[in-house]
Amino acid sequence: MTTLADHGPGEYRVTMRRVVRSEWTKLRSVRSTWIVLAAAALLTVGLAAAFGYGYGQQIHSGAVQPSTAEAAKAAFLGLDLFALVTGVFGVMRMTGEYGSGLIRASLVAVPRRLPVLWAKALALAAVTAPVAVAVSVASFLISQAFAGSHGAGLGDPGVPRAILGAAAYPVAAGLLGLGIGAILRHTAAAITVFVATLMVITAVLEAALSQPVQDAVVKYLPVVAAQALYNLGGAGPVKLLAPGVAAVVLAGYVTVLLAGGAALLQRRDG
Amino acid sequence: MIEIQELTKRYGTTVAVDGLSFAVRPGHVTGFLGPNGAGKSTTMRMIVGLDHPTAGTATVAGRPYREHAAPLRQVGALLEAKTFHKARSARDHLLALAQTHGIPVTRVDVVLAMVGLEEVGRRRAGGFSLGMAQRLGIAAALLGDPAAVVLDEPVNGLDPDGVLWVRGLLKSLAAQGRTVLVSSHLMSEMALTADRLVIIGRGRLLADTSIGELIARAGVGSVLVRSPHATDLRDLLVGEGATVTSAEPGTLQVDGLTAEAIAGLAVDRGLAVHELTPQRASLEQAYMQLTRDAVQYRDQERVMSS
Repeated sequence: MTTLADHGPGEYRVTMRRVVRSEWTKLRSVRSTWIVLAAAALLTVGLAAAFGYGYGQQIHSGAVQPSTAEAAKAAFLGLDLFALVTGVFGVMRMTGEYGSGLIRASLVAVPRRLPVLWAKALALAAVTAPVAVAVSVASFLISQAFAGSHGAGLGDPGVPRAILGAAAYPVAAGLLGLGIGAILRHTAAAITVFVATLMVITAVLEAALSQPVQDAVVKYLPVVAAQALYNLGGAGPVKLLAPGVAAVVLAGYVTVLLAGGAALLQRRDG
Repeated sequence: MIEIQELTKRYGTTVAVDGLSFAVRPGHVTGFLGPNGAGKSTTMRMIVGLDHPTAGTATVAGRPYREHAAPLRQVGALLEAKTFHKARSARDHLLALAQTHGIPVTRVDVVLAMVGLEEVGRRRAGGFSLGMAQRLGIAAALLGDPAAVVLDEPVNGLDPDGVLWVRGLLKSLAAQGRTVLVSSHLMSEMALTADRLVIIGRGRLLADTSIGELIARAGVGSVLVRSPHATDLRDLLVGEGATVTSAEPGTLQVDGLTAEAIAGLAVDRGLAVHELTPQRASLEQAYMQLTRDAVQYRDQERVMSS
């Protein structure tokens, strides 16, 4: 067999940097990565245009007073859809490997295992973050353009923070999905749990709980905490956390799920 | 060198591997044999750290696989045919594995060529036949130019050409001084490639031996003899204590004497011999004998649980 030139110990050592490169190759070498992200991004920006138009009409008819708060609401109303897609995409990073059997090859190459999960998280964030920023900025600009002369501008108070928050949400959703995927390993189960915890529980609790309890609890749910990141005030059905607190809460969810996935990945048979 | 010591794996109340100890030395092809469900795959998965042992250890070059800084340099493993994403090309699949170790892309093309997939390397691996998938798995195992290879049923799904190629590959890897552990449930396949045999049943070691020793243990194998003087030769051999049967005129089935002994006796008497073939079937019989209990036990369990 042709040999591999080896110039001493360490030349072919597994490093975090190398595992990240490997995970990046896995991401970029499957065409569906780009198709899914591009389609979801276009759809989300399209929704922002539609909501922006609606917002413009409401201002025109006098139903709504123009404000940056209302402008941000119109811009990011469709964001849950994008977060749903990045979340499922995150789930698939892990469950796809279990489904295909690739995970065995990955864990034999990196038998310490945890670098695989961390590298997946980094690669996932690296691919979703630029798209999320682009979607967030484009959503805001296009919705304001459709809102007509009353639209808000990028420099208006709070708007940069809202745009950043709107970009952080889909990235966090992707990482939540990755953690759930690592814990559950099966695509259907993990997607169900992801959709249930992120989308369904919020709606159920809002309906089931009494108002005071609701006000105390619902704001800590992942989707509601995410909303707080890009909300600029104004009347809403639920109370929201302050953006800084919301960011910590959301990061907490990501940390707990990824840590849970890591613990199970380490302990279970591959 | 792969060392297995008191290795045990339990799944709930089922014992898959039960206090197994053996060593796989470099420079030989070691066949890992046992009936289906004997614990071969589980043992191999524990060698590369995929399954955690309930007790005991499996070490590669003196330490657990996962503790090596560059594990793919130590062991290349083929554990099941399809361990790749269907939508990814064979080349990108191997590249992703190579990158974990900083192995250059040139090496990916080298192993693709070695397994004969260079033409289809850029195609979706999902469209591969079982044989091609198996070749891709072998390419992945060779990626790190490893000191040892662990291959679970590598000829599964291969066409006759592919089977021949794997046999040659295993022998050349061993000849280069590598450690080669290859599993099969077919003695006939191992008889053609393996020098050493580790035979297990119900997760326990049944034999750690060479092919020659295994035959010897089962008694002298029978020898097929074809001779124009079959009648004279039969009398001669029976006189020497052999058991001789004849299925057709001119051929003898001789038990109790080696081919060398038969040839010596025939030469002494000036009897021409046209064919003298030690019957490999006896190896198969020795194996069947060894594993019969394990298989019977399993069949009984199946009957009882059904």
